[in-house]
Amino acid sequence: MRMTPVLRSSHRRAGFDAVFHGLLLLCSLLVLAMLGGLILLMATGGWQAFTRFGLSFFTTVSWNPVKDTYGVLAPLLGTLVSTLIAMLIAVPMAFGTAFWLTYIASGRFASIVGTTIQLLAAVPSIIFGMWGFQTIVPFIARDVQPFLNHHFRHVPVLGSMLSGPPVGTGLVTAGIILAVMIAPFITAVMVDVFGAVPPMLRESAYGLGATRWEMMRKIVVPWSRNGMIGAIVLGMGRALGETMAVTFIIGNVTTVGWSLFAPRSTVASLIALQFPESPEGSLRLSSLMALGFILMLLSCVSLALARCLRGKRQ
Amino acid sequence: MTEPVISPASSSEADRAGSESGRWRPGRKALRRQMLDYVATGVSIVAGSVLLLVLVSILWTLLSRGLVGLSWATLTHRMGPPGSGGGLANAIVGSLLQTGLALLMAAPVGLMCGIYLSEYGRKGNHFASAVRFVADMLMSAPSILIGLFIYQLLVVPFGHFSGFSGAVALAVLALPLIVRTTEDMLRLVPTSMREAGAALGAARWRVILSLCLRSARKGVTTGILLALARMGGETAPLLFTSLGNQTMSTDMTRPMASLPIAIYQYAGASYEDWVQLAWTGALLVTFGVLLINITVRLSSRH
Amino acid sequence: MPSASMLSASLSGREPVQDVALSVRDLNFHYGTHHALHGISLDFPARCVTAMIGPSGCGKSTLLRVFNKIYALYPGQRATGEVMFDGRNILDDSINLDMLRSRIGMVFQKPTPFPMSIYDNIAFGVRLHEKLNRTEMDERVQDVLTRVALWNEVRDRLNAPATGLSGGQQQRLCIARSIATRPEVLLLDEPTSALDPISTARIEELLDELKEEFTIAIVTHNMQQAARCADRVAFFYLGRLVEVDTADRIFTNPREKQTQDYITGRFG
Repeated sequence: MRMTPVLRSSHRRAGFDAVFHGLLLLCSLLVLAMLGGLILLMATGGWQAFTRFGLSFFTTVSWNPVKDTYGVLAPLLGTLVSTLIAMLIAVPMAFGTAFWLTYIASGRFASIVGTTIQLLAAVPSIIFGMWGFQTIVPFIARDVQPFLNHHFRHVPVLGSMLSGPPVGTGLVTAGIILAVMIAPFITAVMVDVFGAVPPMLRESAYGLGATRWEMMRKIVVPWSRNGMIGAIVLGMGRALGETMAVTFIIGNVTTVGWSLFAPRSTVASLIALQFPESPEGSLRLSSLMALGFILMLLSCVSLALARCLRGKRQ
Repeated sequence: MTEPVISPASSSEADRAGSESGRWRPGRKALRRQMLDYVATGVSIVAGSVLLLVLVSILWTLLSRGLVGLSWATLTHRMGPPGSGGGLANAIVGSLLQTGLALLMAAPVGLMCGIYLSEYGRKGNHFASAVRFVADMLMSAPSILIGLFIYQLLVVPFGHFSGFSGAVALAVLALPLIVRTTEDMLRLVPTSMREAGAALGAARWRVILSLCLRSARKGVTTGILLALARMGGETAPLLFTSLGNQTMSTDMTRPMASLPIAIYQYAGASYEDWVQLAWTGALLVTFGVLLINITVRLSSRH
Repeated sequence: MPSASMLSASLSGREPVQDVALSVRDLNFHYGTHHALHGISLDFPARCVTAMIGPSGCGKSTLLRVFNKIYALYPGQRATGEVMFDGRNILDDSINLDMLRSRIGMVFQKPTPFPMSIYDNIAFGVRLHEKLNRTEMDERVQDVLTRVALWNEVRDRLNAPATGLSGGQQQRLCIARSIATRPEVLLLDEPTSALDPISTARIEELLDELKEEFTIAIVTHNMQQAARCADRVAFFYLGRLVEVDTADRIFTNPREKQTQDYITGRFG
């Protein structure tokens, strides 16, 4: 059967469309495969370590290349505690900055300040590491630690948490650097969330005689609670996986202890530092891969959490 | 306890618009609330100022430490042993090659995937929501893990580190950024534009490529440039892939130098001139990255 | 009762000695470079409903937003002239905004329930300005909800979120929320434009009761509404006050031709 020209050309068009659609699908599949591959290779790479050590992998402190026994407790605790310290500093800082930018500063000025703060988020992480090592570490070592050692030495619990050799590197220093790294990011999301509060709702609060802070605390915060938590969790995900900055200032010692000022290590910094000395196929490299797998899990869980909380409000 | 402020509206017979009553005077509670508002405002401004101050401090540190070492020799000599008057030329070339190649890989794939999500993956498409979720996961995945992943994928099978695997690692890093901005920008294109194109008899792929993508090109370019800036400063994914190299090399199949790696290697060195090179490199990288960011943000505002 | 006699005096159209709650003199308003109100002079008699009518963009809402200085939230908006309220010019910078707004309440075009329970919506404003114990607060909540005829509808679900109420109920809740802080003046910005006719009728009835106690300024697009519930009507056109008089006069025998044209539907 002969086709009319019109029909034939529309066939060809449909053909092009199908090819185009196929190409797009392929690229999307590639993105899916990437995450799949990432998790799979990490899991297979760490398999040797997981089977060898089992649950004791999580409870062993020592990371001992000489004896070839590895445990993740020290870096895992380091990651969690430094992230916690970072959140304690970053969240109020980001909240205040977002409040300032959304409701206090006026239009043009707010946009200039907002853009400038976003530039801070664009600074490469290795630069934060060098800057922290150059400015924050000496400050902690020279001014903060001697002060704390002097005044809190004899206080029972606090004393052991705040004391330590005055070297300046450690969990608190890492927490401070992580905080200024993620605060601009949390700020940006919070500014968006606060900006989404209907203006009429704000005007109603003002109309009843509320001050700006009362409007913020009683109207904006309840209204945007989920979005705010989402922003915080996303920021937390970044702090968990941050590598280069932390490597410079954490001190890189795989120990566990009460002091927040003693050198420690984190999962990401341990991977970065130990990798060059871990030959291919060794148990040591497998342990690093296992660490990577754990870090990936942490990151995925925090992102999924953030998604749930943000999705709820929409 | 009732304070003057809050006593109910009195129906005084005097002309109320004319004479002042006691209700203007703020009571103790009102003053306390006012104070709290001032305190909250002050604390917020301080919080924001601290962030601004950090940026200023970083820039100041970079300028004061790095500017001294910035010379023609730094830009043209390759890295060398301490005291030999080495520069960063091979690292700069390596960085440009790797980010360039990474962009060539990530941009087309990212664009395609973004187009798919925006044009075919509207509500109810489960595959598209999965891709979107995965892109978000990749975006928030620690960059060092991307390095480990590419190490397992490309370095181990081929038996050696290479500039190519470094570029792939950077591409994986940039991909989700490009995907999500492309999608967001295409979504801003009004449906009427697509309908108008289709009504003229244009095929779907043509409508998408020559109408939608064209009208969203500004935002899409912004996304790609920001991804480029992000790649330019990344260190962690390159540690395990392109490794770094002291010599000038443009061979993508061999280990290759890059600025961030050079900074990382030199920053902790005990040789004065190496540390100086690290700071100069840091200055170059940071200002390059910030320059792209500022240009993009300024031009996208208009 | 003095207020009743004054009301009748004002209704009869004579110019009596009258309580004036808000007295506007030569008010100009700018949105940036746009001159939105030109030399407005107008009195709002106490315990009367004054309606402001006019086509969209004539400045009636702008005027309303001057009275509680809500415009001050936005940079670039500024008012000059004089608005006397309780012996002070509220346009002065020295005016304490929170105090002013607790004394001049406002209800918006669309209902704006806060994201909290019905009870807390009412208590929100009260808690800002007064320190009441639980019983006193309960009484206040019941009192204002009764006055807006909402008590019987919500008494069993005071702790339910206010967003679950119907549009008309939400708007009555917003009125209750405003009167709970015991203001002297109530500003209503097209309060029924988002509501169905039955809810609208209930709010109009409510206004009639509230004016016993409050001075009410209402902006409306709906001329029947102005005729039904206002004592005085001010007609605005292009940022100028064209005419102000008793509702009867405006709707039966306006002085200005523009007013005549507008109320008979020739433009607007």
